[in-house]
Amino acid sequence: MRRWVDAAVRALLRLYPRAFRGRFGDEIRHQVACDLERAGEQGRIAWTREAAGQGWDLARGAAAERWSPTPAGRWMDDERRLEDEGMGMKTTMIEWGRELSQAARALARVPGFTAVAVGTLALAIGVNTALFALVDRVLLAPLPYGEPEELVYVAGSAPGTDFPGEFPLSPEFFHQYREAQGLGDVAIWNDFTNTARLGDRVERVVMGVASWTLFETLRVEPLLGSLPAEDHPDPDVVLSHAMWTNWFGRDPGVIGETIFAGGQDRTVVAVLGPELWFPYEGVQLWIPEPVRIGEDEQPRFGWGMVARVTPGTDLGGLTAELDRLADRIPERYGWSTTNARLMERYRPVVRPLKAELLGDASGPLWVLLGSVGLVLLIACANVANLFLVRVEHRRRDMAVRTALGAGRGRRLRALMAEAVVVAGAAGVGAVGLALLCLPVLVQGVPDFVPRLDEVRLTGTALAMTGALSVLAALLCGFGPALRGSRGELTALKDGVRGSTAGGSAWRNLLVAGQTALALVLLVGSGLLARSFVAVSDVDPGYDTRDLLTFQIAPDQEHLVDGPSFARFHLDFSERLAALPGVEATGIVENVPLNESLGVQRFLPGTSVADPASAPLLGFTFADGDYFGTMGVELLRGRVFTADEETSGRATAVVSESAARLLWPTAEAVGQTLRSAEGETRYTVVGVVEDVLQEDLRQEADPMIYLPLVGPTPESWAMASPGHVVRSPRAADLVPEVRALVSEVAPEAPMYRVYTMESLAEESMQGLTSTLMVLGVTSALALILGMVGLFGVLSYAVARRTREIGVRMALGADAGRVRALVVGQGIRVVAAGVVVGLVAAWFSSRVLQGMLYGVEPGDPLTFGAVATSMLAVGALACWLPARRASRVQPAESLREG
Amino acid sequence: MTPSKPDDALSRLEYHVLLAMADEPLYGYALKEAVEEESDGALAPRAASLYRLLARLMDRGLIEEVEAPVDTPPHPGRPRQYYGLTSGGLGLLTAETRRLQAAAALARDRLGMAERPA
Repeated sequence: MRRWVDAAVRALLRLYPRAFRGRFGDEIRHQVACDLERAGEQGRIAWTREAAGQGWDLARGAAAERWSPTPAGRWMDDERRLEDEGMGMKTTMIEWGRELSQAARALARVPGFTAVAVGTLALAIGVNTALFALVDRVLLAPLPYGEPEELVYVAGSAPGTDFPGEFPLSPEFFHQYREAQGLGDVAIWNDFTNTARLGDRVERVVMGVASWTLFETLRVEPLLGSLPAEDHPDPDVVLSHAMWTNWFGRDPGVIGETIFAGGQDRTVVAVLGPELWFPYEGVQLWIPEPVRIGEDEQPRFGWGMVARVTPGTDLGGLTAELDRLADRIPERYGWSTTNARLMERYRPVVRPLKAELLGDASGPLWVLLGSVGLVLLIACANVANLFLVRVEHRRRDMAVRTALGAGRGRRLRALMAEAVVVAGAAGVGAVGLALLCLPVLVQGVPDFVPRLDEVRLTGTALAMTGALSVLAALLCGFGPALRGSRGELTALKDGVRGSTAGGSAWRNLLVAGQTALALVLLVGSGLLARSFVAVSDVDPGYDTRDLLTFQIAPDQEHLVDGPSFARFHLDFSERLAALPGVEATGIVENVPLNESLGVQRFLPGTSVADPASAPLLGFTFADGDYFGTMGVELLRGRVFTADEETSGRATAVVSESAARLLWPTAEAVGQTLRSAEGETRYTVVGVVEDVLQEDLRQEADPMIYLPLVGPTPESWAMASPGHVVRSPRAADLVPEVRALVSEVAPEAPMYRVYTMESLAEESMQGLTSTLMVLGVTSALALILGMVGLFGVLSYAVARRTREIGVRMALGADAGRVRALVVGQGIRVVAAGVVVGLVAAWFSSRVLQGMLYGVEPGDPLTFGAVATSMLAVGALACWLPARRASRVQPAESLREG
Repeated sequence: MTPSKPDDALSRLEYHVLLAMADEPLYGYALKEAVEEESDGALAPRAASLYRLLARLMDRGLIEEVEAPVDTPPHPGRPRQYYGLTSGGLGLLTAETRRLQAAAALARDRLGMAERPA
C-alpha cells in the first residue's frame, strides 16, 4: 500500500475508541490494503473510488463508535436501526440527500455567510491541491527507471582530512565495487558542456559520459535503437528525446547517423523516451564509454556512481562491505602514499538515488506543503467559528426536532449537512483555483527541480481535493454540530436569547489556535526574509552589476598550446574592449557563481613539509584585466603584466585568505609557492581580496590565480576560458559580441552567456521562491486569522449589546467600553501568540538548511512578529469596540 | 427514540456473517468474500463496517476469536485472526433460519409461487 494511504488509514483509525482500535486496528488496515490492491488492478478510477469508499466507511464508523447515543448497542447502532426500518444503505443515501438539499436551501438564504465560508475553504483547499499536485509529481512519483527503489547513489567521504565532506568517486571504485556482493549493476557517470556539431549547426550542449553499464543499471528501454549492452570502444552516442526532437526533427531513421560530439564523430545507437532524464533534465546526449584507469596511477575523482542493491541487502551492511572493498584499491592500482593515506580515512556514502537526485528540491517543497496545510487548518478554524455562531442560532430548531423525536444522530446529521455542502462547494471551487494557480506555482519553482513540465492536476491530486474537502467538512462542521445537536429542550423555554458561555470559550480557543498557526508561518517567512536580506547584503568580493560573461571554444589549426590560445583570447578580449560602451574586459577559467574551482594542494616554495599534508586550495586561471573588470580589489603587489600574459613565467596571484594560510607571519608578495603535484615554483606577485566563488551563502575559499600561460608552452592551455565584460549595457551587448565572435571564430558558438546579476539571482533562487510562496501563505494565514478574530468579536459585541447598554446607563464612558472589548480580544490573541511562539521555536528548525546569517530562534524575528501580530489583533478588535462604544443605552435596553 | 431491537434479532448482514462461519472459522478477508459471494454481491461490507459488526457480535456472545484450523497452511506476514460461531451463535443462526423458512413458506403460499423442483 502507498505509504501515505496507510498513514491516512492509521489517522482515521485514531478516531476510534482506543479499545476498538487496539483490538481490530491492524486487521482493518490489512483488509483495507487488500481491497485497495484489488481495486488498483482495475485501474486508477476504481482505486480512487474504493479509497474514497474506505475513507468514508472508516470515518463514519468512527463517528458511530464514539458518538452513538445508546452505549449498550454502540457498535453499528445507526446501521441496525436503518436496517430494521427495512431499508439499509439506500435509506442512508436518501436521508442524506434530503438533509443535504435542505441544507443547501438554508445556506442559500444566508448568502453572505455561505460566500465567506465557501470562499475561505476553497482558497485553502485550492492552494493545498496545487501544491500537492506539484509535490506528487516531483517528489512522490517514482523515478523513471526500472525498480527505482533498488537504486542507490554511492560517493565517498574522508572524515578528518581536508577533503570536502562528500566527494564523487574515481573509475577505480567502479571496478572494485562491481565485485561487491551487495550490489548488482554498477555504473559511473560524469557530465560536462561540450561542442556538438551536425551539418552547419554548432552548439555547446550538456553531455553525459558514462560507463556502458549505465542504462543496464537504470533498467531503461530506448525509444529507438538499442542501448549499449557490452563494453566496446566504438564511438557511440545515445540521444535524449529533446536532442532528437531539436536536432533531428524526430527523424525515425536517426539510428546510424553521425553527429560530432565530445571531440569526435559518433554514431547514434539509441534515442531515449521523453520521460527519461538522468541525473537531471538538461543532459542532451550520452556517450557510453569503457571505464579506463589512468596510467599515471593518479585517481581521477569526480565520477558519480549509481548502483542497484541486490534484494535483501541493508544499507548498513552494504556500507561496511564497500568500505572493506575500498581498502584494497590503493594496492591494486599502485596509488601514491598521499592517496593511500586518504583511503585509510575513506568511508563510503550510500543513499537512495531518489534522495540524491531530488534532495535539493525536497526540503523547500515539504516546508511549503506543511505551510499550506497550516493555512487549511486556519481556514477550517475560521469556518468552524462561523458554524458555531450559526449553530447557536439553530438551538431552537434543534430543540424542536428533539421534541418531535429526532435522535441525536439525526440532529447531528442535520447540522453536519451544512458543513458537507459548504465543503463540497469549496472542493469544486478549489479545483478551479488549483487549475489557475498551478502554472503560477510551477513558474515560481526554481529550475533545478526536475519534472516540472509533467506537473498536472492528476486524478491523485483530485482525490486529494476530495479527501481535503471531507476533512474540512469534519474539521469545521463536526465540533459545532456536536455542540448544537445536544438539543436541550430549555432552548424552547427561554426564547433563545444570548448564548452559552461554553460557546464563546470554543470560539476563543479557535481564534487563539488560528493566531498561533499564523504566527508559526509568519515567523518562518520572517526568518527567510532576514536570510534573503543577509544574502543580498553579502559582499562577494566582486561586482554583480554591469557585467556580462560568456565562453567560446575556438577550434583553429594554429591553436595548439598555451601561448597560442592565450594570444587568441587576449586579442579577442581587446576587441571586446573596443566595443562601444564597454569599460573593461578580462578572462578567467572559472566564472564565479557559474563554475566551481579545481583544487590542488599548495605549499610555500621553501617548505620542506610533507606535500601530502599541504592544504587543498582552489585555483583558476585569470588574465587580461580580470580583477579590474570584476571589481576584485588588488590589496598588495600587482596583477599579471602583459609580457607574462603570453610568454609564460611562473607567477601567481593569491587571495587574501590563501596568503594568510600559506604565510601566516610573512608578506606573501615575493614568496614562492608550488603545487604538491609539481616541482615548479611560482612567484607570488600580488594579493587580491577574497571572493565567493560558488555560492553567496558560503565562506570565501582561499584561492590561487595563475596566468593563462604556464612556465612552458605545454604546461597548460586554456582553450575555452570565460570572458568577462564590464559595461552599463551588459545585457544588451550580446548581439554585438556574437557578431564579433562569428568574425574571429565562426566555428565557435557563444555559450554560458550570463550577466553576473542573473547568476547572483539564480544562486538565490531556491531561497527566493520559498520565501515568496511562504510569504504569500503567511499573509493569507494572517488575513484569515484576523478575519476570524474580527468576526468573533463582532459577534460577541452584538450579543452583549444589552449588557453594554446597562453599563453605559450606569455611567461607563465610551473609552471604558472600548477598552473592555479590545481587552477581551487581545487576551485571546495574546494567548495564541504565546502558544505560537513556542510552536515556532520548534518548527523553525526545519528551515535551518535554508537560513543564512540568522538563527532559527532569532529573537528579533520572533519579537517583531509577535508585536505585529498583537498590533494587527488590536486593529481587528477596534471596529467591534467602536461599535460597542456607540451603543445607545436606551435603545439597547428597549430591544431586549 | 431509536427503535431498539430485541437481542436475538439479526440484520441481513449479521445473518450472512454468521452463515459464512457456519461451515468453519474464517479470517476477516475470507469472511468478507464469503458474505459477498453468498449474498450475490448485495452485501459487501468495507473493512471498518465488518470489524465493527464482528465486535458487536462478539459482545453479544454469538462469535468468538478462535485458533486457525489445523490444516491451514502458514500465512506469510502477520498471522490471521480467525473467528468462529459460539454455540449461542449457532443456535441463533438456526432459529433465525427456521423463522425465515417459515416466513418463506408462508410467502410462497400467499404469492402463489410454485416450489422449485430440487
